[in-house]
Amino acid sequence: MEFPANARSGRRLRRLFALICLGCLSIVTACGNTGAQEDGHAVKVTATIGMIADVVRQIGGEHVEVTGLMKAGVDPHLYKASQGDIRKLDKADIIFYNGLHLEGKMVEIFEKMAKEKTTVAVSDNIDRAALRTGAENGMANTEYDPHIWFNVQHWMTAAESIRDTLVGHDPEHAADYRRNAEAYLEQLQQLHDDVTKRLNALPEESRILVTAHDAFGYFGDAYRLQVKALQGMSTASEAGTKDVTDLRDYLVDNKIKAVFIESSVPRKAIDAVIQGAKQKGHDVVIGGQLFSDAMGEEGTPEGTYIGMVRHNVDTIAAALK
Amino acid sequence: MSTLWIILTGALVASTCGIVGCFLVLRRMAMIGDAISHSVLPGIVIAFLISGSRDSLFMLLGAAVLGLVTVFLIQLFHQSGVQSDASIGVVFTALFAVGVVLVSMYTKHIDLDLDCVLYGEIAYVPWNTIQLAGIDIGPKAVWGVGLALLLTILLISVFYKQFKLCSFDPALAAAVGIPVALFHYLLMGLVSVSTVASFESVGAILVVGMLVVPPAAAYLLTERLSRMIVYSVVIGCFSSVLGYYAAHLLDASIAGCMISVAGVIFLLALLFSPGHGIVFRKWNRRQQLSS
Repeated sequence: MEFPANARSGRRLRRLFALICLGCLSIVTACGNTGAQEDGHAVKVTATIGMIADVVRQIGGEHVEVTGLMKAGVDPHLYKASQGDIRKLDKADIIFYNGLHLEGKMVEIFEKMAKEKTTVAVSDNIDRAALRTGAENGMANTEYDPHIWFNVQHWMTAAESIRDTLVGHDPEHAADYRRNAEAYLEQLQQLHDDVTKRLNALPEESRILVTAHDAFGYFGDAYRLQVKALQGMSTASEAGTKDVTDLRDYLVDNKIKAVFIESSVPRKAIDAVIQGAKQKGHDVVIGGQLFSDAMGEEGTPEGTYIGMVRHNVDTIAAALK
Repeated sequence: MSTLWIILTGALVASTCGIVGCFLVLRRMAMIGDAISHSVLPGIVIAFLISGSRDSLFMLLGAAVLGLVTVFLIQLFHQSGVQSDASIGVVFTALFAVGVVLVSMYTKHIDLDLDCVLYGEIAYVPWNTIQLAGIDIGPKAVWGVGLALLLTILLISVFYKQFKLCSFDPALAAAVGIPVALFHYLLMGLVSVSTVASFESVGAILVVGMLVVPPAAAYLLTERLSRMIVYSVVIGCFSSVLGYYAAHLLDASIAGCMISVAGVIFLLALLFSPGHGIVFRKWNRRQQLSS
C-alpha cells in the first residue's frame, strides 16, 4: 500500500519543484528590462575613482554627466563590480581611469574597450621617468606606483589629459572646457604652492610621515617628507611581525610624535605599533585620518580632490608641528 | 548583447564545474576548488619575479603550474594515507603561506593580490573579446571556458566507466585492472585546468561555488551518477540565469547572486527532495503511522 503512494507523491513533488522553478524564472525575466532614457545633450562620462570623477566634473561643467564606479571610502584594490556597473560602462561615451594597474585587471578591459569608445588612462601623459617604480631588491621592472594624485603637479597633467579628451570628443564646447580647465588648473597650482609652503614650514626633524599603507610615496617626493609605511602597496597583504617591530623601533629612535590612519584601510595594525612604542616608553598619537585611495563622502569638502588634499595637509601639518 | 554573453559564460562555468564537481563530491574532495583558488598565489609571485610584469598571460601560466602542483600533492598525500580533507587543507594552506612569505619578501611595493592580477570578473566578460584575423569572435572567457568544457565532456565521456568505478569503489576498480591512480590524477588535472581557466575569466567565488553547490544539490535528488551529472549541470545553468536577473534587480555582484541562487536551490532540494528531503521524509513517516 505504501510503496505506490510513495512513488506517486514523489513524482508529484518533483513536478511541483519544476513548476516553482519555472514560475520564478518567468517572473524575474518579465521584470528584468527597464527602459533607459536617452539624453542626447550631455557627454556621458564614467570614471573609476572619485578623484578622477571630480576633475571631470570641474572641467566638463554642465556639458558632461559624470558617473563614478567606486563609491566614497571604497578601497580600489578591493572593489567588486555590481551588475549596474555594466550599464555605467556600456552607456558611457568616455571612460576615464587611473591606469598603472590601480584598477587591477579592469585596466586590461579598458584597453580592450578602446576600439569601441574613448577610454583614457589619466596617468598616460605623465613622464614615466617621474614615476616611482616598484624596483627594489635589485628587481628591474616596469611596474609603477599608481597613487599619482598625491603629487598635485602629476594630477595637473592628468587634468590636462582630461581636458584634451573632452575637447577632442566634443569640439562644440571646446571653449568652455578650455576655460574651465584653465581656472581649475590655476586652483591646482595654488593648491600645490600652498601645500609646499605649509609643509616646508615644518621643522626639518619632524618631516616624517608614517602611514598604514604605502600610498604616500609621491606625496613625500613632491613635498620633501620622508615616508614610512607599515604595510606594502597592497592593502590585502597583512603587515608582518617584523614590519610592526621595525616601525615601532623607527618611531622610538626618531622620536616621531604622530602616525596617521587612512580612511580606506583598517587601523588595527597601526594600533599595534602605537602600543609597542608605548611599551618602550615613547608616546605616539594618531595624528588623524588621511584620505589615501578614496575621497570623503560626496557633498562634504573632503569629497572633492582639492578638499581631500587640503584635509590631508592640514591634518599632517597640525600633528607634526 | 552583454547580458547574453554573461549568462552564457555563467552557464559554461556552471556546466564545466557541475560535471567535475560531481566526481569531487563523491570523492569527498569538494573543497579542492577553494584550495586551488588560494594555492596559486606562489605561482603568480614566481611568475612575476621571473617576468617582471603583471601581464595576465604570465599570471595565468604561473597559476596553471601551481594548480597542477596543488592537485598532484593533494592526490599524493591522500594516496599515502592522509585523510582527503586533511590533505587538501595541508596543501592549500602551506602553499598559500609560501605565497604570502614570497609577497612579503620580494614584492612589498607592488600590488600583487590574486584579486587584482588573476581573478577575472564576470561583469567585464563581454568587453574582453578576442580577435581572429581582424574579426571579433566573442569574449575570451566564452572560448576559454568553452574549451575547458569540451575537454571535460570529452574525457569524462570516453572514460566514464573508469571514472565512475574509481569514484565509488577504488578497490574494485583496481581489482578489475583499471589504473586507479592514473585516473585519479587525470581527474585532478582536469579539475585544475578547468578551475584555473575559469578563475582567470570569472573570479574565484563563482568557480568554487559551482564546483560544490549544484553537485551537492543533485546528489540529494538522485541515486544515479549519470542523472546526478545532468541535474547538477541543469541546476548550475539555471542558477546562472536566475542569478543574473537577481543581480540586475539588486544591482549587486553577478557571481555572488548566481551562487546565492544555487544555494537557495540546494536548500529547496534539501527540504523537498523526493528521496532524501526533510519534508518528504516527515510526511512519509506520518503516512506510515496512519496506515
